[in-house]
Amino acid sequence: MDRKINAKGVKNVASKYTTWITFILMFFVLSVLTKGAILRWDSIRNLMIAESVRSFAALGVGMIIITWGIDLSIGYVVCLTASVAASFAQDPSYASAIYAGHSFPLVVPILTAIAVGGLFGLFNGLLVAYGNIHPFIATLGSMSIAKGLQLIYTKAAVVGSLNQSFKNISQGSVGPIPNLIIYVAIAAFFVWVVLAHTRLGSNFYAIGGNKQAALVSGINVKRDLISVYTFAGLLYGCGGTLLASRLGLANSLTANGMELDAIAAVTVGGVSQTGGVGKVSGMILGVFTIGLINYGMSFLGIDSYYQQLVKGFIIIIAVYFDMRKYAKRN
Amino acid sequence: MDENYALEMSGITKIFPGVKALDNVSFKVKPGSVHALMGENGAGKSTLMKCLFGIYKADSGVVRLHGKECHFVGTKDALEAGVSMIQQELSIVPERTVSQNLWLGREPLNKYHLIDHARMIQDTKDALHKVEFDFNPNIRMSSLSISQQQGCEIARAVSYNATIVVMDEPTSSLTENEVEHLFKIIRMLKSQNVAIVYISHKLEEIFDIADTVSVMRDGQMIGTYDVKAITNDQLISLMVGRETTQRFPPVENNPGDVCLEVKGLTSPNPRSFKNVDFSLHKGEILGVGGLVGAQRTELMEAVFGVRKFCSGTVAINGKEYHSLTPEQAISAGVGMITEDRRGSGIIPLMSVTDNTTIASLKHYENKIRLLEHAKLEKVAKKYNNELNTRTPSMRTALMNLSGGNQQKVIVSRWLMTLPDILIMDEPTRGIDVGAKYEIYTIMARLVKQGKAIIMVSSEMPELIGMCKRVMVMCAGRHTGTLEGTEVTQENIMRLATKFSE
Repeated sequence: MDRKINAKGVKNVASKYTTWITFILMFFVLSVLTKGAILRWDSIRNLMIAESVRSFAALGVGMIIITWGIDLSIGYVVCLTASVAASFAQDPSYASAIYAGHSFPLVVPILTAIAVGGLFGLFNGLLVAYGNIHPFIATLGSMSIAKGLQLIYTKAAVVGSLNQSFKNISQGSVGPIPNLIIYVAIAAFFVWVVLAHTRLGSNFYAIGGNKQAALVSGINVKRDLISVYTFAGLLYGCGGTLLASRLGLANSLTANGMELDAIAAVTVGGVSQTGGVGKVSGMILGVFTIGLINYGMSFLGIDSYYQQLVKGFIIIIAVYFDMRKYAKRN
Repeated sequence: MDENYALEMSGITKIFPGVKALDNVSFKVKPGSVHALMGENGAGKSTLMKCLFGIYKADSGVVRLHGKECHFVGTKDALEAGVSMIQQELSIVPERTVSQNLWLGREPLNKYHLIDHARMIQDTKDALHKVEFDFNPNIRMSSLSISQQQGCEIARAVSYNATIVVMDEPTSSLTENEVEHLFKIIRMLKSQNVAIVYISHKLEEIFDIADTVSVMRDGQMIGTYDVKAITNDQLISLMVGRETTQRFPPVENNPGDVCLEVKGLTSPNPRSFKNVDFSLHKGEILGVGGLVGAQRTELMEAVFGVRKFCSGTVAINGKEYHSLTPEQAISAGVGMITEDRRGSGIIPLMSVTDNTTIASLKHYENKIRLLEHAKLEKVAKKYNNELNTRTPSMRTALMNLSGGNQQKVIVSRWLMTLPDILIMDEPTRGIDVGAKYEIYTIMARLVKQGKAIIMVSSEMPELIGMCKRVMVMCAGRHTGTLEGTEVTQENIMRLATKFSE
């Protein structure tokens, strides 16, 4: 009898902390395989820097998935915002600069990129809330629009030669901690406050948990759906700016496929595809779990083609367990 | 054994956990006759039919067709044996054509095993012709009227050479002319020696079309009568003649001022509520009775702003609204416990606390608009304690609670919004007897505090036990309000089956 209760207890704990357990297990396995190399501060620092932009994407789409939505436009919206930011941060003396001969204060690239991200989010939100278009299709459409705009805006050229002050946004550090990590921490904190401590956040969970019940409870579902997509768009804008700053350029391949990485990360992080469930800690942890797998495989010299394969299986396994855990509720 | 019957069901018993849904029911239908099956909501008519079609497996009893014992395992099986059912909710594929629907799953094939379209269309024409419908077999189902769609279903039944056709509330969404046409088809089928089981609440229709009528009540067959030898009133009393054994707490209905006044409320959907007037007083429980399809839920959802209305007004505490959103209704002091607890009540994965507080969050924000979690949990706990909600903890996901406790959490949700008016749509559906009594006690306490309650219920004893005033609806219209000693099962049933003005 006692053993039975214990077994159930263990199962409960395991199901509650799946994300943490996966992360720690992965860390442990890779530590052994790399003979401890991955435990070095350098490695950890690199990993965190590499995953910073994805964290912004994951925070955005994580919130959207909580409302039982999805966003496929992430990759190209980040690409577009990175290009917009880069275009306002090019060296004025660079002949092929988009605004050659003009120099802009640092706030211009940052704010325009964030605004473009926000507008795309707003557009997605309107399509989903008022157009009643399934988010999968709505964001599939805006993904293509974002890609088209990026190509038109940059004439399919690389937006490079960025000025140093723009690059410094991401490339500096405070003591041993890279700036990028601080930005991620700030964004995560902000999203955590919204999700855990505001009415809007509670509404997101309610809408994803039971839209009809949310409506009957007096929640303005349309307005809140627009908010969540817009909010996510703003985060993608921040991500795009940081990506351009870190890479020192933007082109049409920037952030390609990031939507899959971000969706995979939050799924591994316990944000349920059935809506209404998910935490910021899980989203961030999910990003680093996937990052760790990529990083570990590169470290071990495994071909990047295999990484793609492994990532696919991880998404499927994560969703499979997620469905087993929650799907029965209906 | 008797080959004089097309269908013979005898000694059918079906037990669901805790409920005897069918108790030794026998039902015999002669060929070439229309046999009406009547009874209140939940009397067991549908369960009996589901046992016939093998959707439910009866615990005991025998089904014989033309004297031969048979066991169906689903509607397809039954169809092939010549027993078909025309459901109230038609089972069609709207975006496929008439002929595709008619031959669904048994399309005629040519020698290459591909669909033989020419034959399918010719067969469709023939099948439609038999039931005196004449339209293009290539037209999409969704572009037909409900009556035409029903015609297709009957044509499908006939194309299976059905000898027994069960019709469940076939006229519920038809106009008068369409009903005439349906009756013509029924008479024709009858003349072809088909046995028809006609399930309906509409008394006039029974007298119009049926030869025999069987009445069910509380899972038992009360009796089978010749329609010519029975009266309207006799049928009503047969349907409701049950003794009230349920217990109710004492309710002090002390009607005060009017707090809700609904005038001429009409739905944009012509089949829904029309021109409904009613008023609700402080300190009373107003019952809303009617049969399934009376549009009571739709009316209440419109009063609460979940559903649109196209004309009429709703006045809450003297303030008149020509349109409403749930947000407005809630701030005006209305709460609504919906009929469909799973669909629009509970948020399964959210905690008891979050489910309780979700409709009143705006009153628990601090100066910088962050939620006051400690306070929220305390208040949620207070309401759930008062209602005696049994939960392992306030953080438990609501899906892990029993139906009765989930309902108490939903009641807590609305009490927390401090409503003056609480609309409770089937508040005790699907919860056990103990929890029912607790819900009644809560209602009695609320009206004592001067709140007003509207209780929509399909259980007549509940309406009689809890309400001094009951409004009854039938087919979207308010057919009458009963007060005091007028509130009897017979009177409610009379108004609930009053289909014409």
